[in-house]
Formats: sequence, C-alpha cells, structure tokens
Amino acid sequence: MTRHDSNSDEALIEAIERGDRDAAACLYYRHIDRVHRICCRIVLDSSQAPDCVQEVWMKVFRSLGRFRCEQSFAAWLNTVAANTAIDFYRRSRRQGHPVDLDEASMESLVAERDEPDRQFDDETARREIQAALEQISVNQRTAFVLRYFEQMPVEEIAKTLRCREGTVRTHIRRCLLSLRARLAAKLNREV
Amino acid sequence: MDNKRFSLKEFAALFPGRFESQEQLLREYQSFLAVFEQLDQAPVRELSDRQKAEIFRRSWQDRRRDWSWTWAWLGVLRRPAVTFAAGIALGCAGMFLALSSRPRSVEVQVDGPLAKSESPLTIEHIQRTQVYKGKAVERMYPGIENPQIVVEKTGESAKPQRVLYGTLDDGEIYVVWNL
Repeated sequence: MTRHDSNSDEALIEAIERGDRDAAACLYYRHIDRVHRICCRIVLDSSQAPDCVQEVWMKVFRSLGRFRCEQSFAAWLNTVAANTAIDFYRRSRRQGHPVDLDEASMESLVAERDEPDRQFDDETARREIQAALEQISVNQRTAFVLRYFEQMPVEEIAKTLRCREGTVRTHIRRCLLSLRARLAAKLNREV
Repeated sequence: MDNKRFSLKEFAALFPGRFESQEQLLREYQSFLAVFEQLDQAPVRELSDRQKAEIFRRSWQDRRRDWSWTWAWLGVLRRPAVTFAAGIALGCAGMFLALSSRPRSVEVQVDGPLAKSESPLTIEHIQRTQVYKGKAVERMYPGIENPQIVVEKTGESAKPQRVLYGTLDDGEIYVVWNL
C-alpha cells in the first residue's frame, strides 16, 4: 500500500509529470496485467510479450504529456498497447521471427488431438487458441481481443484501429467464424 | 445461457439478416458458446513480479530519452508507398540538378542599341503540309495582306499542291490562289 493507491489515474499522471516515481509505479502496477494480456494475445508469442509490454510503457511514460483527459487513461492505454502490439507483431514477422509455437508444442498439440480422453487443460487450450488466432489477420485478432477479452466498446475499438465501427464488427465476425472453424474438431471430439 | 462477455444480443448484431428464425440464431449462438468456453479456459500467464519490476525500471529510466519523433519518422519512411514517393522526389531533384549544372550559353554584354532581326522566311511543317510565310513571301506578293504559301501533298508520291492564302482590303476579301 502506497500513498498513491487511492489516487485516480489522472492525479497520478499529474504527479508523474512532476517526476514522481512512486506515482509512476502505482499507475504501472494498476494497469500492467491488462497491457500484458493485450500484448500477449496480439503478439501471440509469450517469450516476446515482455519486450512488447516494455515498449508500451516506454511510450506511455514519454508521451503522458500528450494524454488528454477527454477519454479515460485506461482507454488511451488500451489504444497505445494495441497499436504497439500490432506494430511489434508486424515487425517480428518481417524480421522472420515465427510465433513461438515450436515443433515440440505442435507435436504435442497433434498428439493430444489423437487422444480424445485426455484432459483438455489450460495449457492445451492456450496452445489450441494461440494456433487458431495465428491464422487470423492481426487487425481482426486485435478487434476481437479488445472486444471479447478486454470488453472495449466497438466505438472505442474503431478509434483504436482508425476504422469504422462496421469494419470492427466485420473483423470480430470473421474472427469468430475462423475460431469456430479451427476449434471445431476439438469441440466435436469433446461433445 | 448468455455468455458473460458476448451476449446473444451482440452476437445477433454481428450477423444481421443472416438467420431466418430466432431458433436458428439460438442454435448458431450455442455453437459459439463452446468456443467462448475454450477462450475463457485459456487465460494469459501473468508476468512474474521480477519481470514486472524490471520492465518498470527500464521504462522509467528511458522516459527522458525521448527519441519517439525519430522513430516515428523512421517508421513513416519504412512504408513502401512513402519510400516510393521519396524515391521519385529524389530522382526528380537529381535530374533537376544534373540538367541545371549543364554548361549554358554565356550571355555577352553588348553596349549600345541591340539590332533586332526578323527571320525573312518561316516554314511550318504539319505532317505532309508546309506553310511558308514571312518577309520573303510578302515581298513576292506585295498587294496581298498576310500572304502564306501552303504546299500540301495528299500522299507520299502525290504531286504537291501549292496554294496562296491571304486577304485584301483590310481583310474584307479572302484570297485563295492555286499556284
């Protein structure tokens, strides 16, 4: 418990602009898990996610002065995190870093598909879903991640991705259909 | 039976006009509930306390070194369309410099009034037609105003037709004279 814990995000930002490190730490720890979730689900590589998260927070601390209170800090942070993660993902793809679904993971995934009675645990689910999300374009994935996992309104997602709300809905619909198609075999086996 | 993250209402809004009946919509939604369930079963593993602390330390230390504008510019330049446009602009600038550095005719300062001369004969070539005009033609036909001799060939090997065009009486009379 620090002296800043009860302060609003906006009050913390003011303190950070005066150079208050404790306020920065408080703001950081308040939102780090959400930023990490967003980065992980967009970048799809848990080993690279910390680098992406760091990039997000560097941008946040450098550009806090440009943050305007017209929208909530959380919404602004979601936008920074999503766009940084999209750029990070594209950059890593260009540089030829495949998503961290290594051969062993893939093999175990295939093996588990052949064992219907095996418990569908969290790790397996994570890998199944990661593989399914990898097949979806990064914009579609981002729209879906922000809507489904982070419960952002479609309007805010549209602002984040700089597109129309209809486009966001199309992204989400395609992502859902793709996820169902990809996970269908698994689902049928479980029923 | 609604999914807490994705309600039936929102689902219906995503697929407008796609389902003929409410039952079909419900059936389809139920097929997605299993997908949602799987998604909920796969939480993201949290960062360790050490990782969180390290990320904070580095991010906070880095905040003073604001090179964001440089990266923003580099990011813009890395886009193919921008690179292409920049290439065109650089090419044009290079061509301009190359052409403007070619030796030009040197201007000679001349003292006294400059003599102005006019070409005695101008010949215009338009496909198989040649038009002759100027002082030389005016001297040949002094009574005709703005005389022009037009030599025209209808074909490569055809005999050329020569016609004199001009005016008389301050342009009141138009002259067409086959020569």
